[in-house]
Amino acid sequence: MRTRIRLIAVTLLVTVGVFGGVAFASYAHTASQMYDDIYADTENGLNLPDIWIENPSGVWSEEESSILCQKINQLFLDQSELEFKECEPRLKREGIMFHKDSEGKDTIVPSVWHGIDEGNIDRVWIPNHPLASGVEASNDNEIVVDSRVATGMDISIGDSINIGSGSGSIDFDVVGIGFHSNHLYFAEEGSLFPAEPGTLATGYLTSEGLEKLANLDSGVANLLLIDIHGTPDYDLESTDEVEGQQLSSLLEKINSLLGVEDDNPSSAYSRSKVSSVELLRLDADGAMKTYVPVTAMIAIVAGITIFLSLQRLVQSQAREIAILRTLGIPRRVIIPGYILMPLFIGFIGCIFGSILGLTIGGPAMLGVYEGTLGIPILEPANITPIVFQISATAILVVLFSGIFPAIQSSKIQPLEILRGQHEIRISSRRIQRFTSMFPSTVGLTIRSSIRKPVRLLFTFFAVGLSMLIFGSIMVMMESMEDSIVGNVRDRQNWDINANIAPSGEQEVIDWANGNGANYELMLQFPATIEGDSRFITTIGLDEISTDTNSMYGVNLKEGNIPSKDSEITQVLIDEGTQFFLDWNIGETQKIMFGSISKQIEISGITQGEISRTIYFHRHDLSPIIGLEATSVLIGLPEGAEMNNQLAELSIGISQKQDTISSFESILEQQQAIFGSILALGLIIAVVVLFNTLLMNLSERDSEIATLRVLGAPIKRIGSMMLGEHLVIGIIGGISACIFTIAGTQLLLSTFLTWSFYLTVSLNLSVTLVLVGTVTLISVILTPYGMWRISKMDLVEKIKDFSR
Amino acid sequence: MVDSLVDLRNIERYYEMPSGVVKALDGINLEIKSGERVILLGPSGSGKSTLLNCLSALDSPTSGEYNFLGKTVPNDNSESMTSFRRENIGYVFQFFNLLQDLTVLENILLIQELADERDDNRAKKLLKLVGLEAEADRFPAEISGGQQQRVAIARSLAKKPKLLLGDELTGNLDSTTSSMVMKVLVEACEAEDITCIFVTHDESLIEYATRVIRIDSGKVISDTNVE
Repeated sequence: MRTRIRLIAVTLLVTVGVFGGVAFASYAHTASQMYDDIYADTENGLNLPDIWIENPSGVWSEEESSILCQKINQLFLDQSELEFKECEPRLKREGIMFHKDSEGKDTIVPSVWHGIDEGNIDRVWIPNHPLASGVEASNDNEIVVDSRVATGMDISIGDSINIGSGSGSIDFDVVGIGFHSNHLYFAEEGSLFPAEPGTLATGYLTSEGLEKLANLDSGVANLLLIDIHGTPDYDLESTDEVEGQQLSSLLEKINSLLGVEDDNPSSAYSRSKVSSVELLRLDADGAMKTYVPVTAMIAIVAGITIFLSLQRLVQSQAREIAILRTLGIPRRVIIPGYILMPLFIGFIGCIFGSILGLTIGGPAMLGVYEGTLGIPILEPANITPIVFQISATAILVVLFSGIFPAIQSSKIQPLEILRGQHEIRISSRRIQRFTSMFPSTVGLTIRSSIRKPVRLLFTFFAVGLSMLIFGSIMVMMESMEDSIVGNVRDRQNWDINANIAPSGEQEVIDWANGNGANYELMLQFPATIEGDSRFITTIGLDEISTDTNSMYGVNLKEGNIPSKDSEITQVLIDEGTQFFLDWNIGETQKIMFGSISKQIEISGITQGEISRTIYFHRHDLSPIIGLEATSVLIGLPEGAEMNNQLAELSIGISQKQDTISSFESILEQQQAIFGSILALGLIIAVVVLFNTLLMNLSERDSEIATLRVLGAPIKRIGSMMLGEHLVIGIIGGISACIFTIAGTQLLLSTFLTWSFYLTVSLNLSVTLVLVGTVTLISVILTPYGMWRISKMDLVEKIKDFSR
Repeated sequence: MVDSLVDLRNIERYYEMPSGVVKALDGINLEIKSGERVILLGPSGSGKSTLLNCLSALDSPTSGEYNFLGKTVPNDNSESMTSFRRENIGYVFQFFNLLQDLTVLENILLIQELADERDDNRAKKLLKLVGLEAEADRFPAEISGGQQQRVAIARSLAKKPKLLLGDELTGNLDSTTSSMVMKVLVEACEAEDITCIFVTHDESLIEYATRVIRIDSGKVISDTNVE
């Protein structure tokens, strides 16, 4: 019976491993293939630009855009590698949307509006799918809203929506529901997490429509999209290598050109700087890198369980093997049985795992993907060859687990077994000395626990592995919560962050004064490092402070707050910048605002920022970029609320509470996924621990029977067993913690990029959950062990003793 | 004062087998007094081990009455039967059954601890009684079979049982070692005033008994006082 349960358990483990691998692979391959299809320059694709040129501080006139496009075309002609195809000026503006939520309450939703004129590059994507419908906007009163806006705010084609962009508000007719490359991953700029329904709006208007909304001259643009023939390689931010040498060199030339031709701090970049594109690439890339190790990891756990079970089987069949050997049966006849068994288990597990992965796991993962991100999956990838690859990996791992027990069985010495010498063992004298200070019951408990150190070590290894995924994700989420919510919640005391158009601060300040609110100006501007195209956000604050009561506090890890008006401008850099650039306190470095170079001195390092950040005194930053402020931080008096007047004065509004609620809501949404991962980890840990503890128990049958015959009460044996399980559980839990730290570091090393930096540490609550969970699993077996003892037939045992 | 330690009245133990009912004990009547050393002799399958199991409350008779020191021995509850064994019975196995992870002394102490009666001095005294004081810190695997059986005897006496049972306790030893073990056992039981019942095939052990009971087909066929 126990053998059958063990057989089912290990087959289940292989099944789970293959199932997980197939489900992940289905997701990874479908996502990768899907993004390629969406971005392609085809009838059904949106034709992703190869180069973006952005003017963050103003707009170019139609003539200026045209001249820039011509000069850029000329740059292409000067080099032979890449062929210019098209340059398209665009207007993109932050703004707001006035909306009545499902309860009829007026809400103001931060928004991004795109004016799409010719639409040959970076088109609005309206696939043939229930999540999209309608046509592109063709009149200045028409708009296509993003699919997530339509579902999140219950907007349909034919509805009219009221929107603004720093210059009052206008009604637009919804003519389509679709997607755009900038918002395929639907999140606020700079956020890693999908926006909550109703907290972000994006829409795609005609250029005339957006000019009318923002009260701008005809033909103005703040974005130039450049299409190149073919799809050139581009430099990935997640690696140190330069993958797209040709494109990088062209970007350098364009940036130099901008420094000469454009007064604005504009810059050119490739798709790796477009957060939505990059995040989705990282996600697919991460899934692609993860599914083989995940499958292998679960297969290794299954392999260890099979190995331990086979070892036990060899041990229990030693007498039969010895008799066979005595009768002259050669080793080669004995070995195959122990090799074929794991092969059989692996084969059955792979069949079940593949079927379940293809029919349930894969579709479920794609369903969660579609549900969470709202991106339509038009056609799942064909992963048949991958299923074979995963199955082969799993079979190979489990096959390997049978080799040692098979060799062990062939090396059995018949005489030794038949004389019973194999059962004679001498305990470690050192452990005896150490435990002799305790009562004999405790000494026996400890010595019994570590009687089979190899088995125990393998068990701890397998338990550690099985808890790794769960532990790592828990640590990552805790760290992210600390970084994202913790910093905002504990160190920032603004209620509203109102983005403003250049020189638009005074009207917002007037509003704040008129409503009894506190305010501070903030300047936020993209920069690059000299000789490096990666973006870094510079933040100019009125007051840089570590005080948790300040409007925008920083978490200073080391160093000092910068001094204003220093000869060389003093700044704080985040620890991610320090990590990637190896910049240190006291050093002077150069950063670029477009083509403007600025020398800075690092006075301190901050922590908790996910993306790369440099803090300036606004007073020091403002003259460099020629802007007073890009937003106003407002602290509302008690009971006061934001109103439409403020929304119309701003080009975008974010509320602190929304940021916090949004992350908490994401966590809630992820509960089902975390629950599944938790259950998976627990099931595997239960199987592994139960397997070992049951083997320990059955090996100790004669010992326990002896004690029972000699009058030992069940409760006493139970408490000894509990002690043993407690010790094994605690050590297993510690092993889970060690694996979690190692796993998280490994996970982070694949995740960490210039735009995503996180430091993790195992805190007390995670440690307690891990140790507690494994200990609980281990201890749960005690009642079963006691029940087994109570059912033990002592008369039969006595007979066994006499045989 | 109750003179009779064990009083068996018409004890029957039947087993339901596919081939029919097997009568392992078929109406056993026995009275054993304190201080007696009884040897149960009989061929294989005669019922002597079943009788020993019933005497130790490892097994319950199908019918009949079993009184120990005038009180009925529990027969329907595993834990009360275990308590009975713990309080009254010492047991010596044919294959010693010492715990391999514990030293000689710890094997004795463990039994005392399980009965909440740890007494280091008594444990050492018992080792001295069986002539193994010098081996106290050795593991069972480090001493000979005869020595292990003497440890098992000391262990069975550890909690001062009223009745000591032995199942083929010299069955795994050569004749010289057997007689040495039996001498030790007799001396120990006399010193501790313990009643003994041994099951054996070995007729030569009769010299250590005060009473010999022969069993066949689940019935007592002879009951002789030796002294």
